[in-house]
Amino acid sequence: MKKKQSKNKTNKGIALLLSIIIVFCILATVVFSVSRKISTEMSNSAIQNLSESLDLMKGTIEAILVKEAEFQKLIAQEIANIENPEGFVRSYHKNQTMVKLSIILSGKTEGISNTGELFSEAELNFSSGKTVDNLAISESYLNYMGTWAYTMKCPVEKEGKTIATLYAEYVYDSFDKSLPNGFYNGKAMLYIMDAENERLVLKPKGMGERSAGHLNLEDFFRANNILEESLRKEVFECVKNGKNILFYHDVRQKSALNYMWSVNDGYIYLIGYVPIEAIQQEGKTVNQNILIVVIVMLVAFFLCCMVYYFNQKQQNKIRKEREEEREIHNKRLAQALQAAQIASNSKTTFLSNMSHDIRTPMNAVLGFTTLLAKDAENPVKVREYTKKIMASGQHLLNLINDILDVSKIESGKVVLNIEEFTLKDLVSSIDAIIRPMARTKKQNFHLEVTAIKHEYLMGDKTRINQILINLLSNAVKYTQEGGDIWFRIIGLKQRSSQYEHIKIEVEDNGYGMTPEYLETIFDAFTRAENSTTNKVQGTGLGMAITKSIVELMGGTIEVFSEIDKGSLFRVELELRIPEEQADKQFWKNSGISRILAVECGEACKDIQTLMKDTRVTVDIVSSKQEILHNIQQYYNTQQQYNMILIDWNILDIDDIEMIKEIREMLTDSVPILFLIDYDKDNTKEVEQVLCIKNTNTLAKPFFVSALKEKIFEIQSEQKEEEVPETTKISTLKGLHFLAAEDNEINAEILAELLEIEEASCEIVENGQLAIERFMNAKENEFDAILMDVQMPVMNGYEAAIKIRALNREDAKNIIIIAMTANAFAEDEKEALEAGMNVHMAKPINIDVLKKIVKQYVKRKE
Amino acid sequence: MKKDDKSNIKKIVVVFLTVITMFTIIACGSNEENSKNLISSEQEDKKVVNLFGPMEKTNPDADNVARTAFDMTVAMAEQRLNLIVEYRTYTAENYQERTYDDVTLDRARNNMDDWYLLNPDTIQILGSEGKLADLSVLDSAKNLREVVKTANVVNGKLVAIPQEIVVHGLFVNKDMFDKYHLPLPNTPEEFLECCEVFQQNGIETPVGANRWWLENFVFAQAYADLYNGENTEEEIQALNNGERKYSDYMRTGFEFLQKLIDNGYIDAEKAYISEAIEEERADFLAQKTPIVMAYWGAANTETAYGNTDFELQVIGFPSQRGQMPVVSMTGYGVNVNAQHLKDTMDVLDIIFSDEALQIYTKTNKVISPSKNVEVDCIEALKPLNNKIEENIYVLGSNAAMNVEQWGNTCIIVRYLLNGASVEECMAEFDRLQQKALTK
Repeated sequence: MKKKQSKNKTNKGIALLLSIIIVFCILATVVFSVSRKISTEMSNSAIQNLSESLDLMKGTIEAILVKEAEFQKLIAQEIANIENPEGFVRSYHKNQTMVKLSIILSGKTEGISNTGELFSEAELNFSSGKTVDNLAISESYLNYMGTWAYTMKCPVEKEGKTIATLYAEYVYDSFDKSLPNGFYNGKAMLYIMDAENERLVLKPKGMGERSAGHLNLEDFFRANNILEESLRKEVFECVKNGKNILFYHDVRQKSALNYMWSVNDGYIYLIGYVPIEAIQQEGKTVNQNILIVVIVMLVAFFLCCMVYYFNQKQQNKIRKEREEEREIHNKRLAQALQAAQIASNSKTTFLSNMSHDIRTPMNAVLGFTTLLAKDAENPVKVREYTKKIMASGQHLLNLINDILDVSKIESGKVVLNIEEFTLKDLVSSIDAIIRPMARTKKQNFHLEVTAIKHEYLMGDKTRINQILINLLSNAVKYTQEGGDIWFRIIGLKQRSSQYEHIKIEVEDNGYGMTPEYLETIFDAFTRAENSTTNKVQGTGLGMAITKSIVELMGGTIEVFSEIDKGSLFRVELELRIPEEQADKQFWKNSGISRILAVECGEACKDIQTLMKDTRVTVDIVSSKQEILHNIQQYYNTQQQYNMILIDWNILDIDDIEMIKEIREMLTDSVPILFLIDYDKDNTKEVEQVLCIKNTNTLAKPFFVSALKEKIFEIQSEQKEEEVPETTKISTLKGLHFLAAEDNEINAEILAELLEIEEASCEIVENGQLAIERFMNAKENEFDAILMDVQMPVMNGYEAAIKIRALNREDAKNIIIIAMTANAFAEDEKEALEAGMNVHMAKPINIDVLKKIVKQYVKRKE
Repeated sequence: MKKDDKSNIKKIVVVFLTVITMFTIIACGSNEENSKNLISSEQEDKKVVNLFGPMEKTNPDADNVARTAFDMTVAMAEQRLNLIVEYRTYTAENYQERTYDDVTLDRARNNMDDWYLLNPDTIQILGSEGKLADLSVLDSAKNLREVVKTANVVNGKLVAIPQEIVVHGLFVNKDMFDKYHLPLPNTPEEFLECCEVFQQNGIETPVGANRWWLENFVFAQAYADLYNGENTEEEIQALNNGERKYSDYMRTGFEFLQKLIDNGYIDAEKAYISEAIEEERADFLAQKTPIVMAYWGAANTETAYGNTDFELQVIGFPSQRGQMPVVSMTGYGVNVNAQHLKDTMDVLDIIFSDEALQIYTKTNKVISPSKNVEVDCIEALKPLNNKIEENIYVLGSNAAMNVEQWGNTCIIVRYLLNGASVEECMAEFDRLQQKALTK
């Protein structure tokens, strides 16, 4: 199709070109014809002008000759009346025209001249028979003055009888004054030629060639390259017959009009030439003007063509751009459509997956509930069923949480809850969750923390937790039994002193992923395998959530994986270092200024690095001998060690004695801590060592916060030993709650749970009723208020605000616990802002409730 | 950026159209003049001065360089003086006609022209007749070389000035000399030997001659000692007062010419009726004749020997003192009764100025009469130029001698060509000397 279009375009172009050429050809022909016609007319006119000019000159010369003849006749008449004609002649003084006067008396052969010389007619040639006014005229000759001359003879008659012959010599130079001073702007050449001897006898001023004269007709022809025999013959024929001739012939490589103009019946000739360019000057000018007009027209035409061409080019360009734009637009539309289709497909798949994933635990719940109803009398089975229902419910909850997370992230509603946290807490919580999971699958969980400079950091601990649990739980899920999982936190070089740059690596040697899947791993609603065929349960949203959170924190996440070799997820985050780390005075107050750390390899360096800011001196020794030596060295001095840290790995059974020895060397108040790996099964040995006074363990990896906690714990124990144990509330027993819950089932479950814990509760259906009930209650009637958030009439937040606003002493202090299915940080924040004390996500976990109640009731007390 | 380009194109188109419109308006507009007289001042008659000079026949489409150089100086004068120099010419159709010199004498005596190009003999004659004006009054005359003044002073008047110092020499076909392993001749004897060898090799007439320039052989042998010795002035004085005879100087030269004639090295009959260059040129260029004689400028002129197919060398005439250039002074003289005497003198002052002679010398590559102008000559002329630079030459004409040399010797050589004996020729010299003494 395109080829056809292109061919059509080419044909159109050729047709246009041909049309232009034809128009130009016609124009050229017309111009040429007009020009030629003008040239011809001009030429004819010029020839006519030339002929007229030559005729004029001819007439002038002939008139001179006639006048000379007439004058000579008059002299002859005068002489006839004089007695001494010779005396008259002798007395004649030459003038510019008649330069010599001679007379031969009749019957004599010699006469005399006015110059005093003898004169004979034999010197002259009258044989041509040419006459002027009936007077014979001689052939031209070079006279005594060195110039060309002619003589006319006139009989002197007296009384009808010829008594003498008068000869008068005339010079051709005299013609010069009567002839024009050049013609055709001095470009025409003119010579006067004697027809008899063909000598050029006069070159009138301004009419001959300056660079060379011409001798005779032959020389004139030779010099002007007129060598054609036929032409020359014709010319000579004309000269012989006294006719005029005008012919074209090139002279000096220029076209010229040559002429030979007979004067006095061919006695003399005017010969010469005039270049055509001089004769047709007007024609040339006209042609030049025509040419200029044509050129201007052509230029104008080409300008128009150019303008048209550029316009077309511009139009084509715009059209092309539009087409391209349209094409891009179409492409985008197609892409969008495709993306929409993919999204639709993904969502369809997702819904299908979700449907399956929700149905599965739901089936379990419903199924076991049915079974529960049936086997309600069998406590063993009841426990078993409830356990399974619990697990299924938990799974469902996770599923819903993930979906809500994705929904939040996608709609951009996620707000990070930045607060101070310690890496120690992070690692501990992760370890507490992942290690049991790994253990279940008989996997080895390796935890490494290196090169961290600051362990107190600012960040959304919950979200970081979420990231790590996602990555690690995936690692556990997708690693075969007995596999290895590495969890590394590595401190990187700080880009800014205010930020700790950390790299988190989660590596496993599990199933790995295909390159194709790697490309979509972070897309929502994708899963390594279709959930309907996969044994591993999951929403397929985890990685998308993880990536989104990492990016929200300004970090990066990358993944490397190979099938059957394992995967490596690498997260880099920059977390702000808190400006003032809490309780810097802790060490001083604890009385610890010098610590001895024994042989813990890289970990010791970390201890030194982490303790750098605490102003506590950490000495590191690598051998047992050195321990004793160092302790002895500083014993009982101001620099003595306040704590000893010993890497458990360097110890063996025999070293227990050494520990005892150390213990003896130190005062009892100096604790000895052993750094122990989490996963090492060495409980017996540890128990043995811990029998030694003021010894304790500290889990690896080393964190200052952990150390601080341990110190606090040890010191608390020491205090507890000193202070008798006070009453502690460990359960909910005896407590009386006010619960606002609109859902009857939830309300019932809550009531049942509290009853199980031997606590009581009063349930109202909305916030408004809760306020009213509280207002009507006696002071301190309720230990706490459990407030659902989403309720009809008045929601929980509003109710909390109003309760706090009540003018009652206990309204300010009553513990209000938010209960909501909205498990996000923002919900918690909102709850706190509404004056609630704590946020508890639904469904209610009785242990969590216990913990909260324990914490707040205690505080209340 | 694209917008700028478009704007520029628009600007260019607008400017272009404006210019075209302006041109059109100017072209269509008429030139209104105040004067009603349609004849422009340029068309008014200009002053004219008439020059009479020889006519050189021109070939179709060929430029006469020698004349071109002269024309350039004349054009300079015409432009500066706002006048026209009219050329009048004459050349004899054949040997039977009156010579250019004859016609010149007649025309000068009858005051036909304002100024003339004169051969040395006519300078002598017209100068001694008082027909020529004194040119020493010209400013440009102050720059002339001494030799120029010496050769053209008659009765204390500088009667003619050349535009070039004409040096005559032998034009030889070096290739032909090399072909027959002949060195270029220095002495008359060597010259005769060369001719003999050429003749033996089938070149019947080795020397191309005309009726004008054979006299150079005579001058070279006659005056080699006189002009290159130490007693030049005394010897001329002795000749002028009759103590010594011209015939004694001329004899060896004439005897040498006689030998050339007798041995057929020159064709006397042909030479007698040949005009300069006309007859011998064709054979020389066709390499049928290895030797011709001509003046310096002929080596630069295409109409003469300016373009040869062989290696041309121009050397001096043979003499006992070696190769001898012959210097003659063809000069311009002004008719003392010229109709336009002042204008003519003004013209001459310009054409002999250093500025004009510089142009002339540069164009013709000839030796300038001005001591301030040097020549950069072609390779072929270097042997001759070297001799001049060494001050080795003889004068073909000397106004200081009371017997005119150039014209008379030429005529007497023609006698020899016409069959007169050497003795008869010597007798003619004696007669001329006697005539001069009695004058």
